[in-house]
Amino acid sequence: MNAVGNPTAPVYGIAAEFSCARDLYHAAEKIRDAGFEKWDVFSPFPIHGMDEAMGLKKSILGKFVFLGGLTGFLTAVTLEFGTSSFLYPLIVAGKPTNLYTVPAFFPVMFELTILLSAFTAVFGMLILNGLPRLNHQLFNWDRFKKVTEDKFFVAIEAQDPKFSSRSVRDFLESLGGQNITTIHGD
Amino acid sequence: MSGHDPKPTGSATFDYKHVGSRFLGLVALAIVAYIAVGFGAWTDTKQFAFSYLFAFTFFLTICMGGLFWTLVHHAVDAEWSVVVRRQMENIASLLVVMGLLFIPLIFVAPKLWYWMTKLPGQDILLDEKWPYLTKEFFWIRAAFYFLFFAIAATWLRRNSIKQDASGSARYTLLNRKITFACLPLFAVSLTFAAIDWLMGLDYHWFSTMWGVYIFAGTALSSMCVLVLIVTALRNAGYFQNVITLEHYHIMGKLMLAFTIFWAYIGFSQYMLIWYANIPEETVYFLRRNTESWQILSTALVVGHFFVPFLMLLPNLGKKKPAFLCGMAIWILAMHLLDIYVVVLPALHKAGVVLSWLDFACLVAIGCTLAALFLKRLGDAPLWPQRDPRLPQSIALKN
Repeated sequence: MNAVGNPTAPVYGIAAEFSCARDLYHAAEKIRDAGFEKWDVFSPFPIHGMDEAMGLKKSILGKFVFLGGLTGFLTAVTLEFGTSSFLYPLIVAGKPTNLYTVPAFFPVMFELTILLSAFTAVFGMLILNGLPRLNHQLFNWDRFKKVTEDKFFVAIEAQDPKFSSRSVRDFLESLGGQNITTIHGD
Repeated sequence: MSGHDPKPTGSATFDYKHVGSRFLGLVALAIVAYIAVGFGAWTDTKQFAFSYLFAFTFFLTICMGGLFWTLVHHAVDAEWSVVVRRQMENIASLLVVMGLLFIPLIFVAPKLWYWMTKLPGQDILLDEKWPYLTKEFFWIRAAFYFLFFAIAATWLRRNSIKQDASGSARYTLLNRKITFACLPLFAVSLTFAAIDWLMGLDYHWFSTMWGVYIFAGTALSSMCVLVLIVTALRNAGYFQNVITLEHYHIMGKLMLAFTIFWAYIGFSQYMLIWYANIPEETVYFLRRNTESWQILSTALVVGHFFVPFLMLLPNLGKKKPAFLCGMAIWILAMHLLDIYVVVLPALHKAGVVLSWLDFACLVAIGCTLAALFLKRLGDAPLWPQRDPRLPQSIALKN
């Protein structure tokens, strides 16, 4: 079997190449059904329904975003009502300083909610994805560069509890994967 | 991507056995309602004028929305909406009828738009609005709106039906070209129709957001009607393996989006006027936020925004047709209330006064449109048969 990277370094995993999105999709379904946990697929473009084929669960990000939005909303409420209605009531243009002032405060509440939701979404996504990172073991494999062009890849990681290099290689071969390669670290 | 997709089964042609004698019932109800409305117009012309405008506007917004969604479909080259496009076209094609239903308003125009009764020199604010608010220009504009609506809706639908026979992609391209010419005209027609017929109820008052406010309700209510029509046809056994829960998901998302859009526009309009506090502008909200109108305005904030927003926000309901239909009916009821609060306070300044004419006009126009819609259903296949994007539309995944 081919191997790339530093042969003395620990194995990252075993990767296989597929020539079209449909093959990759069906391979993902079979890997999911075989019960692997630590594995991923790589393609030049998003493939509709791939999350289902991989058996991915719903991301936890949405809950973080909700908390971020709530923080923004409560910040606005506190800063606006706290200062203008309680600490130093300002009566401007005959507008009251009680709950009925809310139309004037609404834009700030809205904007802060959106702002902190968006920040949480972007930065939370980066953190959950482990980004930014400088390198990845898969880049040791020259053929993998085709992933931004016209090739599709699957990599099963060595950390997967069901991983054993021989059986994984046979399994990927049975799925129709080509150029099956063991990826070592640097 | 799931390999082989199930082929559409069942007929694509509407069979009138599903309607049966109910069609005659609809026509009979319409006739009875028209007689009642005619009687009301004779005894209480002013109440009739406003009730009729209220009912007319409600249904006009829904029909304009059908045209809007058809235009959007072609303009963005949408894939998902191919399967529901024929129903949008059917709704839009009723705009021709709306042009005819506008005729009664011509006879009661001075009672509705009272600037028509003023002579030059009587009111400086009216003189300032010359020549926009002159009878000649007003009627020319009205004729233009309906001419445009009728031509655009009919032309797009006809090309779409021609494609069912020939399967030529030429019609898709042709409709896209027509759409780009129509989009600005649609925006202008909807905006100025709203200004002429609704804002014009009080010519002193103005809001630069008025057109887009009415548009928000238009797009929303029309999407709700689309959900109801599609579900009714599915329950009758059509659209098997054509319209899936994925399509419902998208329609649900659009309902949520336009619920938020309506609230955004409605609130922005309110806040700017409330904050600036200029008497000329506040007159609109002053009337609607006092007396018993206050209750309806508040109900609108809760019912038109908060309830559908919180119900449609979670992912759970959007793939359940029954739930989505419930929301569609709720939003349509709120849209009705919205138009009621727009039109009727111009007549009943002291508070809400319900009139039997409000209901009679709704029934009369509603039954007419429902009967003609059923006619349209049978005229053409229920979904575009040979659109080049039909397979992708059927295989939709969110």
